[in-house]
Amino acid sequence: MFRFRTFFAPSTTVHAHCDLPCGVYDPEQARIEAESVYKIIEKMGANSDPTFTARAIGIKEERAELAKHHLDVLWHDYFKPEHLAIVPNLHELFWNATKQVSKVKASIDLADAKKLLDMIDEIDAAWKATGGDTKTRVQRATA
Amino acid sequence: MSDSEPGPTAGLRRVRSTTRSTALVKRARGPWRVVVSETSMTPTIQPDDWLLIDPTVARWPRRGTIVVFREPAADRLAIKRVAAGPGDRVELDEGHLILGPDEAWLLSDASDAVLLAAGTGQPVDSRRYGPVPVDALIGRAWFRYGPLGRIGRLETVRRERPLGP
Repeated sequence: MFRFRTFFAPSTTVHAHCDLPCGVYDPEQARIEAESVYKIIEKMGANSDPTFTARAIGIKEERAELAKHHLDVLWHDYFKPEHLAIVPNLHELFWNATKQVSKVKASIDLADAKKLLDMIDEIDAAWKATGGDTKTRVQRATA
Repeated sequence: MSDSEPGPTAGLRRVRSTTRSTALVKRARGPWRVVVSETSMTPTIQPDDWLLIDPTVARWPRRGTIVVFREPAADRLAIKRVAAGPGDRVELDEGHLILGPDEAWLLSDASDAVLLAAGTGQPVDSRRYGPVPVDALIGRAWFRYGPLGRIGRLETVRRERPLGP
């Protein structure tokens, strides 16, 4: 039997691979990008220079995309089915937040950016409720 | 022009024929058998499955088949399902993409739930690296010959609509 296996065993490996999560997750990453979006919209309201506006729109969309990316990573890589018992509306939270990012990308309304920050704060609460702050971050040295 | 004289495209035909036969000889070297690592094709294919490959295919096989190919910008062989073939339309988040005559859109089988259960991240496929050119094709995976309890032909599964990111 051993010889049978040796004879027929393939020598070539093909990969059906996925990302290898590093295991560090924090909604703060998404919040910082969403804060950038908020601040940029705020600055756009105080400056009517078309060149500034064009640059600001580009940066805003880039930051919003990063916020969406961080939310997606958190959703897909950190949260597990068992977390639904603790946060039953978990998928709804992420669904709404990522939709809100898309809205913010196309909007210069400060209220839209503020709503996104509030949604990320709700996700942050879910992350803490599932022990994310103690399980996934590397603890800082105490002073 | 007499019957014995070569036609105006005879040279072209010879070049094409030579190119095809050279490519076929190159492909015939294999691999004909592979072992799978990692989980992005679960549940269809699981880690440590032994598969038979048909390396004689010269074009992207039809949509829904499973292929082994050289992953773009990486020196490793990967396995995915053909979600869309040459000329097909792939829907993206913001817009769509029409595949070129030698390109395919290759996706993983594993659902989000499966990946969550496996504790892995997002699958690495065309949603990450875009369309894959036919030059990267190694062969079509068609049969699982190990482990013994899972021996069988790999089914063609066509999605209703090619998925984008």
